[in-house]
Amino acid sequence: MSDEHEHYEAVVVGAGPGGAAAAAALANYGVETLVLERGVDAGSKNVSGGLIYAEESAPYTIDDLFPDFREEASERPVTEYYLHNVAGDKVKTVDITDLHEHDTEWSDSVLRRRMDSWLAERVHEMTRETGGGLLTDVRVNGLLREGGEIVGVTCDEVDPIRADLVVAADGVNSELARDAGLMDWEDPEEWFQGVKAVVDMPPEVVADRFDVGEDEGVAHLFSGDLFEDVRGGGFLYTNEDSVSIGTVFHLNSLVAERAEPHELLDALLTHPLLAQWLGDDYEEREYSAKLVPDSKKVALKEPHEGRLVVVGDAAGQMQAQGPIIKGMNHAVSAGALAAEAFAEAKSRDDPSSAGRRYAKKLRSEGVMKKLRPPQYRAVSALGERDAVTNVVDGVLTSGVGRTAIKALSGQLDRLFGSPFLTSMVPDTRTSYVTLPTIIAEELGTPVREESTVEPPTLADRIGDLTYDTDIGNPHIRLVDNSVDASGAAVSACPVSAQDFGGGCYREETVTSNGDEERVVSLDTQPCVECGTCAVVADTEWEHPRGGKGVEFREG
Amino acid sequence: MGDPLDPSDYTVDELREELETVETADELESVLEAERTSKNRKTALEAIRNRLDDLGVPEAEAIEEDTDTEGEYLEAGGEPPFDPAEFDIAELGPKLKDVEDIDALRALLDAEESGENRDSVVTLVESRIDKLSESEVEGEVDPTELSVAELGNAVQNVDEVETLEAILDAEESGENRETAKNLIQSRIESVSGGEREEAEAAVPPEEKHPDLDHPTADKRHVRALEDGTYGDMWVYCETQAGALIDVSREMLGKARELIDGYNDDYDADERVVAVLVGDDVEKHAEECIACGADVVVYHEDDRLDRFQHKAYTEIFCDMARWGGDPGEGNPGEADWRDYDEPRYVVFPATNNGRDLSAQVQAELDSGLASDCSGLFIEDAVISNPVKTGQPGTNKTFERVLHMKRPDFSGFEYSTILCLDNPNREFHPQGASVIPGSFELPDPDPDLEGEVVEHDVALDDDWFRVEVTEFDQLEAGVDLTGHDVIVAMGRGIGADPTRGMELAVDLADCFEDAEIGVTRGIVTGSYNFEGHVEQYTQEERQIGETGQVVEPDLYVAAGISGAVQHKVGMDESDTIVAINTDPEARIRDFSDYFIEGDLFEVLPRLIDAIETGELDLGAVTDGGRDASETTASDEGDTHE
Ligand SMILES: Cc1cc2nc3c(=O)[nH]c(=O)nc-3n(C[C@H](O)[C@H](O)[C@H](O)COP(=O)(O)OP(=O)(O)OC[C@H]3O[C@@H](n4cnc5c(N)ncnc54)[C@H](O)[C@@H]3O)c2cc1C
Ligand code: SF4
Repeated sequence: MSDEHEHYEAVVVGAGPGGAAAAAALANYGVETLVLERGVDAGSKNVSGGLIYAEESAPYTIDDLFPDFREEASERPVTEYYLHNVAGDKVKTVDITDLHEHDTEWSDSVLRRRMDSWLAERVHEMTRETGGGLLTDVRVNGLLREGGEIVGVTCDEVDPIRADLVVAADGVNSELARDAGLMDWEDPEEWFQGVKAVVDMPPEVVADRFDVGEDEGVAHLFSGDLFEDVRGGGFLYTNEDSVSIGTVFHLNSLVAERAEPHELLDALLTHPLLAQWLGDDYEEREYSAKLVPDSKKVALKEPHEGRLVVVGDAAGQMQAQGPIIKGMNHAVSAGALAAEAFAEAKSRDDPSSAGRRYAKKLRSEGVMKKLRPPQYRAVSALGERDAVTNVVDGVLTSGVGRTAIKALSGQLDRLFGSPFLTSMVPDTRTSYVTLPTIIAEELGTPVREESTVEPPTLADRIGDLTYDTDIGNPHIRLVDNSVDASGAAVSACPVSAQDFGGGCYREETVTSNGDEERVVSLDTQPCVECGTCAVVADTEWEHPRGGKGVEFREG
Repeated sequence: MGDPLDPSDYTVDELREELETVETADELESVLEAERTSKNRKTALEAIRNRLDDLGVPEAEAIEEDTDTEGEYLEAGGEPPFDPAEFDIAELGPKLKDVEDIDALRALLDAEESGENRDSVVTLVESRIDKLSESEVEGEVDPTELSVAELGNAVQNVDEVETLEAILDAEESGENRETAKNLIQSRIESVSGGEREEAEAAVPPEEKHPDLDHPTADKRHVRALEDGTYGDMWVYCETQAGALIDVSREMLGKARELIDGYNDDYDADERVVAVLVGDDVEKHAEECIACGADVVVYHEDDRLDRFQHKAYTEIFCDMARWGGDPGEGNPGEADWRDYDEPRYVVFPATNNGRDLSAQVQAELDSGLASDCSGLFIEDAVISNPVKTGQPGTNKTFERVLHMKRPDFSGFEYSTILCLDNPNREFHPQGASVIPGSFELPDPDPDLEGEVVEHDVALDDDWFRVEVTEFDQLEAGVDLTGHDVIVAMGRGIGADPTRGMELAVDLADCFEDAEIGVTRGIVTGSYNFEGHVEQYTQEERQIGETGQVVEPDLYVAAGISGAVQHKVGMDESDTIVAINTDPEARIRDFSDYFIEGDLFEVLPRLIDAIETGELDLGAVTDGGRDASETTASDEGDTHE
């Protein structure tokens, strides 16, 4: 052992649910654990739609590891769940509470700043007892290697740290997974982009508009032609004194349609269906965005390399079970299983086997099967080809298809209620757009309300965010500024837009030697670190230094 | 015993009833076992156990009577405090933490192994056993099992010399590691230190170790101080490029607060003394007083215009000893003070401050806590025999400066104390302070203080280091303090170079004008020609992440008025905006808004000023009433 660097038995990178679970479980095993978090506070960099699940079949749930979790860190339990199929102003609503409750011990809405910072306090207490602790404002920027072997991590702010186990729980766009060669950020097909607004709403108004008691909450999902042809949907979850409204789209579809994420969110916010809930006192607390991996395509089958284990979004463990999105719960399971694996490996005097043991546990505990369902593999082989989509869409939109849908009407709840069926839904226009639209057209009833919601402009949304800018140190560098290579980011970046000068990406005309050329410019100061341009543009992409960049208050 | 009851035939409610009919513990025990191996329902197990309790037979005893195998662990390890099989792994972690008894843990381990035998549970229990055993060993350190670093930690907990000597023996007959032996020996020295210290203290180090160099041998002045008198808190106020730096003010504010508290606590009348050294520094005395100093001692000399390590150290030390304990080579009388040396000194932890603090404290033969972020004064009760002079006793040290410094990025804090030894005084108690640790005080111009000039002949030798050349880091362009700022935004996109040329031309119309840009320009891809490129760099950015300006006149051409830009300029006296978009946000906070193309408006504006047709000075004066001017599409300006 070289004394040159500080050494811990385990270093956990990232204090989201995956890192918190890993650290708590490691601490329970008495493993000396240091947790490093790049935000000023845990949760200040994190965004999620907002539902955390405790699955009955899961090896670990968050309240196993943090007993007071639901009381202290979550918002409201979801006691009702609806899916709305939308076509114009016609809506067909399906109750999917059954699907939601399948294998669900409980499920609560959460806001990540509150949740993660609470977890971090517990984690700090627990890991301190082992001789470690939790440090914020520290960004791990890579793996420390010796003779080609991973032996620890390197950071922007402190000296390299050696460890017997490195847990990469650094979220989507994991720089550690990339450094280890486990993940690339190349293919937009593998990702979703989520964009969200947290809307202020006093508890009594929530109770009134959603008809819920103090310990009840509602979740709504939206699909259909709300978003033109972009594949994805919307959600609305009630929190204690706010609601989270957002959209989740396939990134490749966003790019193909040149859609503006903030406009898609606005389309949802201003839809007459939402008028009943948003009233005429719309006040947005925070606009946020994050990329989410599609576990069906990217969940790492062997999320480890040497002493490194990768958990949560960093390992692609984000499951879209039809319309229901599960990420935090799997991150918790994975983090705790990784800890278990390390403790076992250590007691068998075979620390290098931790990674293998972890992967094995993911399989034997059934986590991997949820992340990469076998039935999806079979269907998607056929279903995602354009030709098939077109044929299916053709049938659905024909008289025959429409009649079939009408005949189905009594059974829609059951159809959407089957977890097996929803897990095999292929990612095509059909399931996201065509089918819901036809359902609404054929079976829906018109909405009579009118929306008075006026969402803030993008400039206002950016202006309302909190930034600690690392002046002079942009964290993203544009490698190729041609429109071909990087132009997609101008619309796909959630804080940029065509013809908007105040965002990150802009298209500009420049003349050199009399030739006019369209090029892309980048200003990283408005960046919300969603990760989109790492995939859709040609960049050198890193996160800002510890404590720098955007700071989410809600998340 | 009749037919054994098979619990899996019943629902839990039914089972409860059935159990009433079972009268022997043996039978209940087998029911319990059967439930465990079949459905293993928590509630069912609970019901069976309740019944066992009713019968007055604790579960564990029942096992002992009946099953040999399980009886073994009872003999070996005692009862498990609970049944691990009832819990899943996640619940077990926290539960195990409450178990402090190794035997109980071993029993749990056996119970698990002979029960469900889950790998992860076994590991969990084993690691808890390991952990507890580790801490148990601390009493009896076996050096051969420990790395040197571990050994270092382990011996810190051992206070008896005999034990330590036994460990030393063990090491010598074992691995005999030099480093390990040193560690143990130094621990022995430190626990028995008091006695030795006393015996040896009278022998000065030069005599004790004649074979070594003694670079501090000439510091007799301080060493000789016995029962020295100390007073005041001294603050070294650093200046840079002729200006007092913020950390100096911060330290003065803090010192004021500390000394006020000190005077209350100890019913004393001590002061904050600011020290200024340099060329032309007396001018800062007033501000030092406003920030909290009672006395300012300064030394000026044109040779001191930049920091010189040797010279500054000599001057500071001479000031510190000024009027002190008379003796050979001591400075003369000081009528402004009556103590031998300062009680406390604080320096800024800047580059120069760090250099100076280290050398000054060495010269005064005291200690230094470097890079501190917190200070307070309190009594301290100390048991370390080196300090008390007598092992096993406590001694109260009064008026101790507690100096908190962050370790490992502020993850941990150490509090450093600088305490006298029985035979040696460590004063002044000194710290260097990380800039920004304390609040900037609100200067109070009504405060009064004494200003004292220090005089000592500066030895040429002190200036052996000559600064032949120096580079001032590019300070960039300062846009503040000008009458006029001409600022350009992305509206120049159609012909960026021409746009910047117009800005230069307009700026040239005024006596004191500078050119600024928006971030949109800084981060844009425009190809500017060489002669205007310099005006488009980040150093000229105005706004939240650039400079904040308040000129008399701010001309904003082709700027939309994003809030991040606005915060850098909206305190300007008069704002004139030129924009093609009548809805542009900048209109909301402009005094004059000219709707038009900057490529047309600016040339006409320049023309009008040059020909004297338009007096923008006059515009400025009238600007407060925020009249709006809207030009026609051709860009006419109306006043
Ligand atoms: C954290 C953060 C910090 C920031 N810090 C700063 C900062 O310090 N300073 C700063 O400036 N920005 C800052 N920004 C960026 C800021 O939001 C805007 O992006 C920027 O100010 C826009 O620059 P602009 O007005 O030049 O460009 P745009 O917003 O694109 O405006 C161009 C304007 O020119 C007008 N125009 C076009 N053609 C013509 C013409 N021919 N004649 C006249 N008008 C024309 C248009 O109508 C438009 O109003 C920051 C952003 C963030 C998120
Ligand atoms: S610049 Fe890139 S990472 Fe930042 S918000 Fe835009 S797309 Fe996301």
